[in-house]
Amino acid sequence: MIEVRSISKSYGDIEAIKNVSFNINKGEIFGILGPNGAGKSTIVNILNTLVRPDKGEVTIDGININDNRDTIKLIMGVVPQEIALYEELTAYENLMFWGGLYDIPKSELKSNVNSTLEIVDLSYRKNDRIKTFSGGMKRRINIACSLLHNPKILVLDEPTVGVDPQNRNHIFEVIERLNKEGMTIIYTTHYMEEAERFCNTIAIIDVGRIIALGTLKELREISDAKDLLTIKLADSDNETISRITSANPLIRFEGTSNILKVECENISNDISIIINHIQNSGGVIESIYTQGTNLESIFLKFTGKKLRD
Amino acid sequence: MFKLFKKDLILFFHDQRSVILTFLLPVILISLFAFAYGGIGVFDGRSEHINLLVTDLDQTSSSKEIVNNIDSLEDMRIIISDSIKSRELVIKGKYACALIIYKGFQDSLEAGNAAPVEMVYDRSREMEIGMLQQALIRTLMSSTGKIIVKKSIENYLQYYYPAIGKSISDNILQTAIKNDNIIPAIKWTSVVGEKNDTKLGLIQAVAGTAILMLLFSVAGVGTSLLEEKENGTINRLLYSPLKGSTILYGKMLFAFFISILQLTAMFLFAWLIFNMDLSVNIPALILMIIATAFAVSSLGIFLAAIAKTRQQAQNLSTIIILIMSAIGGSMIPLFIMPPILQKIALLSVNYWGIQGFYDLFWRSLPFAEIFPRILVLMSIGVVMTLASIQLFKKRIMKLS
Repeated sequence: MIEVRSISKSYGDIEAIKNVSFNINKGEIFGILGPNGAGKSTIVNILNTLVRPDKGEVTIDGININDNRDTIKLIMGVVPQEIALYEELTAYENLMFWGGLYDIPKSELKSNVNSTLEIVDLSYRKNDRIKTFSGGMKRRINIACSLLHNPKILVLDEPTVGVDPQNRNHIFEVIERLNKEGMTIIYTTHYMEEAERFCNTIAIIDVGRIIALGTLKELREISDAKDLLTIKLADSDNETISRITSANPLIRFEGTSNILKVECENISNDISIIINHIQNSGGVIESIYTQGTNLESIFLKFTGKKLRD
Repeated sequence: MFKLFKKDLILFFHDQRSVILTFLLPVILISLFAFAYGGIGVFDGRSEHINLLVTDLDQTSSSKEIVNNIDSLEDMRIIISDSIKSRELVIKGKYACALIIYKGFQDSLEAGNAAPVEMVYDRSREMEIGMLQQALIRTLMSSTGKIIVKKSIENYLQYYYPAIGKSISDNILQTAIKNDNIIPAIKWTSVVGEKNDTKLGLIQAVAGTAILMLLFSVAGVGTSLLEEKENGTINRLLYSPLKGSTILYGKMLFAFFISILQLTAMFLFAWLIFNMDLSVNIPALILMIIATAFAVSSLGIFLAAIAKTRQQAQNLSTIIILIMSAIGGSMIPLFIMPPILQKIALLSVNYWGIQGFYDLFWRSLPFAEIFPRILVLMSIGVVMTLASIQLFKKRIMKLS
C-alpha cells in the first residue's frame, strides 16, 4: 500500500533522514520507533506531502505523493504530536471545523462527528470547551479530528505523550478498533511497550537512519537479543557458585550480592531447568526476576544506547 | 477560506477579553479623549467661563469702565481681588492669570503715556491664557482707545472752541466714540465646520482613538497566526487539503471584517452618546471605513509576518503602533504639532485615516476631494498584503 524508497531530507546542514526505505501493507500497524529527534516526524510529514524529500520516492496506493498531493491528503489522516485543537471551541465545534476542511456534506459530517465522538467515548462532553478537558481527553479529540473524512491510512505521531494510563489504554483500544475495521496505521513512538503491544512491523530509527526493520520476532532474531533471568541466591559459598556456573556456561555470576544472570532463548522453556540445576548444585534461591527480550534490549543491541538517552 | 473566517469569528466572540479590548476599551478611550479635547460635554454651543482675577488699584472712572467692559464679556467671569492675593492665587495654581491695573492708569492714558497694567500668569496654562488673550486684548484696546480719543477731542475742543456749549461738546464726543469704531474691529468668521454640529475634538477623539485601537486589534489577529504556528494548528491545517495561502487569506478576511465592525461600532457609539453628526456623505463614509479597515488590517498582519515568534510580534507591534499613532495624530491632534512632525505624519496610516475622517465630518468635503486619501489607504493595504503573502509563504513552508 505504501512504498517508501530511499528518501532523504536535510534542513540546512542537518540531515533529518537519510536513505530511508520501507513498505507498509494494507491493514497493517506499522511502528516507527526512535528517540526524540531521530527523524520520525520528518517521515510523517513526507508521507503527508507536507515536506518534499530531497531524494527518493513515496507511493501510496500506486500514486506518487508529489504528483497528486490533494488525493493523498484525502487518503491520509494525521494525528499530530501537538494537541492541535482550538481550546475556546467545544469538542463538537472543533470536530465540525476540522472535518469541514475536507468538503464533506454537512449532514454526513454531522453524522461522522457523532460516530467519531462515540469511538473516542466522549459524546457526553461534546458541548464542552476543549480547555475544560483533561490532557488525555484532548488527545482523544485530537485523534477524532483526524478520522472525520474516513481516511484509509491513519498516521499517529506520538499520540500518547503526557497521557495517564487510563486514557492511554483508551487510545490503544481506539487504534485497535480502527485497525480491525481495516484502517492502515502508522504509529510513531518512543515508548517500546506501545510498539510491542500492537505493531505488526517496527522500524527502529536513529539519527535519521533505519537501523532495523521487521516484526518483533524478526528484530529479536536479527539483534540476537535474549531473555534475561536474574536469580539472587541466599548466602552461598564460592564452591556452590562454582558448581552452578561450571556446569552451565550460560549462567554468569555477578561478583556482588550473590546474583546470577542467565541469557536464554526462551525464558518460559528454560526457567525450570535452570532452577533445578541451581538447587541440585546446592544453591538456595532467594528471588527470581525475569525480563523477556523487548525493544529496549533490541534498541540497546543495535545502537549501544538506551532509547530514552 | 470562509470556514477559517467563521472559525476565527466564533473564537473571537468566545474570548471575552478580545471582545472587551476590541469594543469596550476604544469606547472608554474615545470618551476620555472626547472630554479631554473639549469636543463634547457642552451641547449649548457655549464653552466654560474663563476666570480672571482683577485688581483695580487706580479706582478711576477709566479703570472701572475697563473692568466693567471685561466683566460684560460673555465667556468671562472676573473675580475682584487685591494685588498680593492675586499673585498668590496664580502661584498656587488656583487661577491661570490676574490683571492688575495700577494707580495712575487714567492719568497715563490721558497724558498719552503707556498705561501701567500688568498681567500675572502661570506659563504652564498657556492654552487657557491663549483663549483669554484674544478676548482681553480686544476689550482693553477698545476701552483704552476710547478713553484716549475722548480725552484728545475734549482737549482739542477746549483749546480751539472754548465757547462751545457742553451739550454740543457731549454730542460731538458721543458721535466720535460710539460703535466701537475707535480701533478697527476685526470680524472673526469661522469657515470650517460651520455646516455641522460635530465638534472638532470629538472627530479627533473618535477617528484618532478608533484607528489606534484598530491597529492593536488587528495586530492581535496577526499575532494569533503565530500562536497557531506555535500550538500546531497551522500544521494541522496544512495536513488538510487547504493551501498555505488560503490560511493567510482567511486570517486577513477576519482581520478586515473585525476592523470594519470596530470602526462602524465606534462611529455609531459617538453618534448615540455624543451626538456626532453622521449625516455626511454616506458613500464616502462607507468607502473611508473600508479603506481604513483594509489598510490597518493589512498593516496588522504585516507586523505579525515580519516577526518570528508570537512574543516578538507582540513587542514589535506595540512599539510600531505607539510610534505611528503618536506621529500620525491618534494621540495628539496634528494641528498642534510642529510642521516637521506634520510632514513625518504622512508616513503613518493613522494620518491618512484621521485626515479622511476630518475631510468628511469637519470640512464636509465632496467625494472627489476625499478620494485621494482613500486611494492612499487602499494602496497601503495592497502593498502590505502582498508583502505579508510573500513573508508568510516562506514562514509557512519553513514550518514544515
